[in-house]
Amino acid sequence: MSAAADLPHLLSRTALRDRAAFEQLYRATCAHLLGVAFRILNNRDRAEEVLQEAFMNVWHSASGYNAGMATPMTWLINIVRNKAIDALRSGKTERASTVALDDEGMDVADEGGREPQQLLAESLLKVNIDKCMSALNASQRQALALAYYRGMVHTDIAEALNAPLGTAKAWVRRGLDKLKDCLLAAGVTP
Amino acid sequence: MNYLLPERLDRLAREYVLGTLTGRARRRFERLLHQAPVAMLAVHTWQERFSVLAAGVPAMQPRDAVWSGLEQRLFVPAAAAAPRGAGGPLQWLWDLLSGRALAGALAGMFLCVLVLRMQPGLLGLEAQSEAALPASYVGLLTDAAGKPAVLASSRRHGHELTIKLLQPLAIPAGKVAQLWALPKDGSAPFPVAVVPEKGPARLKLADSSEKLLSNVNRLAVSLEAAPARPGDKPSGEFVLSGHCVKLW
Repeated sequence: MSAAADLPHLLSRTALRDRAAFEQLYRATCAHLLGVAFRILNNRDRAEEVLQEAFMNVWHSASGYNAGMATPMTWLINIVRNKAIDALRSGKTERASTVALDDEGMDVADEGGREPQQLLAESLLKVNIDKCMSALNASQRQALALAYYRGMVHTDIAEALNAPLGTAKAWVRRGLDKLKDCLLAAGVTP
Repeated sequence: MNYLLPERLDRLAREYVLGTLTGRARRRFERLLHQAPVAMLAVHTWQERFSVLAAGVPAMQPRDAVWSGLEQRLFVPAAAAAPRGAGGPLQWLWDLLSGRALAGALAGMFLCVLVLRMQPGLLGLEAQSEAALPASYVGLLTDAAGKPAVLASSRRHGHELTIKLLQPLAIPAGKVAQLWALPKDGSAPFPVAVVPEKGPARLKLADSSEKLLSNVNRLAVSLEAAPARPGDKPSGEFVLSGHCVKLW
């Protein structure tokens, strides 16, 4: 995301149907947002489709953005993430019966779930709560990372980490409790 | 169960935002979100917290086609939407052979089959009264994964919109599936009708479809707490959307 972009201003201009502002908003945020969608869908084509759908929504519902409730980036990430998760879950049944040939080459190598954990570590480092979060064990961190970065539900996490469902749920819960505590302690978010 | 106890609400909100709250529990919580501002606040707080986790995600530059497609879908009127490539006299052939064109042609064939199945009169010899004419405006709405979900059609001077559901619509209790028309010029969407949970259905239009839809190139559905009135805007994201074309 471009540091120079005044996202609240661009979003309010977009709500007023200012196409130039809409394009600037897109240019300033698209790379970060595509990154988020790509982590979940693991496929560039599908992630780009989600990004385009998300910005269709942004154009039509920018007036619904409430600056008092969320930063523009949080609002945008939420739209993209929800769309990506919907696409992931509705595509699962399709993928179960068909294999798209072009999917294969685009996939990020899944190194046994290590990659989401690295993303988590880097994100925590950026807001300086990595030490605080180190109170979680590896499984708890991994469960949280798979849920957030891969859009996995508890049953997926249990399967991926080869653990009983109840254990996977408890790991996610513990991860979230700790995340909240650490962010509070660091004064990053309420 | 009282969902508004602060601790319970906090747990539901965070699993909702994370995406691990699923099925009926998710739909129940979505209903609550519309009734209780405190629940919405809890969701916003967690969205803000989770945005911290997005900070470490490496950026990935989208291909140019994403923006140009977006411009095309939002701002270019359907009639002018086929720019000729500057690739020489055989460009049209390459266009024709490209995957995208082929996919478009297949989608078109699929649309035609559906229209013909719905409106067999298109090939028949019915009396040429307006009532017997095939649909003039047809919209095919797809879900986020691109799967066809709703087929909408209307006769040019008709005041009814025929709706056929191509897959069941998951409408949370307490919500309605509001159909919107999106004008070609990018101006604000306007409400058309409420799509019922089960089809087929014939919905009443405020005016003739010619008057309502001649400048519309897309239709979309959002979930609303109540049927939208003229002047209302979609309150959230579109769950379905697709092109609206004039057949004749």
